[in-house]
Amino acid sequence: MAEYLTCPFCGFEFLREDTLCEHGCPLGAMCGLVRCPNCQYEYPEKPQSLTWLQRVFRRPSPYTDLPAHVITVQELKPGERARVLCLGTGGPQRHNSLAVFGLVPGAEIALVQHHPSPVIQVEETELALDPAIAREVLVERVEPVAPPPQ
Amino acid sequence: MGQTTVLVGNPNVGKSVLFKNLTRRYVTVSNYPGTTVEVVRAKAAFDGREVEVVDTPGVNDLAPRSDEARVTRQLLDETAGATIVQVADAKNLRRALLLTLQLAELERPTVLVLNMYDELEERGRQIDIARLSEILGIPVVATVAPRNQGTQELIDALPLAAVPTVPDEVARAPGDEYGRNRVLLGYANEILSQTYTVARPPNPSARVRLGLMAMHPVKGVGVLAVVLFAVFWFVGLFGAGTLVDLLEVGVFEQRLNPLVIRATDVVLPFPHAHETEALTYSFGLPATPVHEVTVGSVEREVVRPSYVLDPGVDLSAVQEALRFVHDFLVGPYGAVTMALAYAFAIVLPIVTAFFLVFSILEDSGYFPRMAIMLNRVFRVMGLNGKAVLPMILGLGCDTMATMTTRILETRKERIVTTMLLALAVPCSAQLGVLLALMASLAPAGALVWLGLVVGVIFLVGWLTARVIGGPGSDFILEIPPMRRPQLSNVLVKTASRLDWYLREVIPLFVVGTAILFLLDKLHLLSAIAQAAEPLVTGWLGLPKEMANAFLVGFMRRDFGAVYILDAATGPAAVLTPHQILVAMVTITLFMPCIANFLMIAKEHGMRTAVSMAAFIFPFAFFVGGVIHRLGVWLSI
Repeated sequence: MAEYLTCPFCGFEFLREDTLCEHGCPLGAMCGLVRCPNCQYEYPEKPQSLTWLQRVFRRPSPYTDLPAHVITVQELKPGERARVLCLGTGGPQRHNSLAVFGLVPGAEIALVQHHPSPVIQVEETELALDPAIAREVLVERVEPVAPPPQ
Repeated sequence: MGQTTVLVGNPNVGKSVLFKNLTRRYVTVSNYPGTTVEVVRAKAAFDGREVEVVDTPGVNDLAPRSDEARVTRQLLDETAGATIVQVADAKNLRRALLLTLQLAELERPTVLVLNMYDELEERGRQIDIARLSEILGIPVVATVAPRNQGTQELIDALPLAAVPTVPDEVARAPGDEYGRNRVLLGYANEILSQTYTVARPPNPSARVRLGLMAMHPVKGVGVLAVVLFAVFWFVGLFGAGTLVDLLEVGVFEQRLNPLVIRATDVVLPFPHAHETEALTYSFGLPATPVHEVTVGSVEREVVRPSYVLDPGVDLSAVQEALRFVHDFLVGPYGAVTMALAYAFAIVLPIVTAFFLVFSILEDSGYFPRMAIMLNRVFRVMGLNGKAVLPMILGLGCDTMATMTTRILETRKERIVTTMLLALAVPCSAQLGVLLALMASLAPAGALVWLGLVVGVIFLVGWLTARVIGGPGSDFILEIPPMRRPQLSNVLVKTASRLDWYLREVIPLFVVGTAILFLLDKLHLLSAIAQAAEPLVTGWLGLPKEMANAFLVGFMRRDFGAVYILDAATGPAAVLTPHQILVAMVTITLFMPCIANFLMIAKEHGMRTAVSMAAFIFPFAFFVGGVIHRLGVWLSI
């Protein structure tokens, strides 16, 4: 399968196979760099550190094609209020453990913080959640964005 | 005829405080969910009627998914004629009503208690109690349990208890558990809309702001550091330094030991002379780990347990017998001079200091915030933030903490936490002694020790999680509000933990010392030291007397650590800093004590306990040896 790459420097499009280094490079195939055959600019194919950081700190939401007003708890800003629409996947057991704290579709919540662990407020209960759950619970905002705390 | 009243409710709503108010009997109370893990019963007399009151673990719903729910459900099934007193957090009426509606299915006489009513009012909310009582058809009582408000009203309401009335379409709603709970919550919302009013918007108090700060990603770390430093200062420096000095040197060595030795010599005479020395005790307050502000000092001529026989005298059989009893009481391995001195002069002040700080932190509601801070870190070990609570409690007493691993939901989490407690979390007695040992090391040595223990926790935690396998659980943890700890509760709790601890520790210390004494008398001690020589001297590079420390360490590792402390800083110091580090690491990784082993066997079965021990002891020696070799290799 031919894979076309675009040089970020000169915009030249080329096949990945064309970037194989000359023999004799001490880094060999381990360097993870690709070289544009047009301008000889070397660059990392994917910004590795960035993807690694992303993996650790921001996992993509499991949903695609959500309506614009439907977001996950993870996308709420601290202080924002929202109404729960759906508890997401995770099965009846997780749904029930959330429900006993009053977290059911229709409940109004406020996001307290994201890090180090997401905390939401349901009525007078502050509830710490796993980031994995915060990525799955779908909500809609109920108020315009509140001014950030000073 | 006796009657039974069962207290049921969501976790951390104050059932245990109410239980205490009703029965005047203390059970452990704290500001985090899941403190009560067992059913507690007590008799009480209400206006002349004798009633049995039962406290249950907190449950969020009655489905028997967690251990607490199973225990509570079973208890409710057993006590068919009992009155149910549902204790609710007035602030969280919706959740409480969900439980009320579930309890209604049991068709038992019920009273609803709205506890923490002061916190509700503080937040500007109001509940129309009369209307709520009318809708549910049961008596509703508002209480503030810590101040003992509303207890009499509750007692008066008990005879009026009635079966809650629930509309048919709610009670008979079809569907699975989750579906039914949604119907119940819908009805709870309807009740709320008729009874619950928000009077004025809440105004965040200093306590609320402190609570937010404690779980802030940056400020939270600062709070954590301040808390840890405060604990270190109070337990490690003040408790293990000042108080231990006061009791060990000032009370035992300067006054009590000489007195007991002289008294014993009068009662059990045989020709011998004790060694004497001038011993200085200085009273000071700790400033930094190595500096003290000296307040005053006392020098006294004291009698030491060691003695020489008068020259040229042959002891008769009677005198030999007297000498045996004398040595058992006040000899170098004497019940008074070693066992009681260790238990009361070294362990007691440290444990008291720790339990005091721990109770204050516990009641303030800080620990769940700590769980938030550490949740992601604990993920590495297949655990989640909830495991922080048993681990921190383990710093007080690993045996108690092993019991509280029940709050964790899956077997994997319980086993991993139990394993880490047994292996690497030092209990307060040991921690205090270790801190005192560390003071004799360079700061780098202390850091190496800390790094090693943390490293071992992660490595072994990760490995155990791999070996056990199985699912983890969702991290969903309720954060209680920060509260000002109440002095009386803190003191009572510290006292009840100390009581438990001393009952546990003193017999073991006396038995351990007696075993050492017998081995010494039978000249087996040196034989064991000889036998252990390849391990202790060859592999760990320690003097062969240290075999004793590990021998008693099998019984209690803090006892072993005290032994090491004696060898490191006592009158006849024999250890170099390098050897102190090796001995410290090895004894830290030992299993805490026989009681802990038995508790593991009770909670997880004998097989698990034995296989843990079979891993822990060789592993402790292995790591100790590696440190020794590394140290030699790096020529430190």
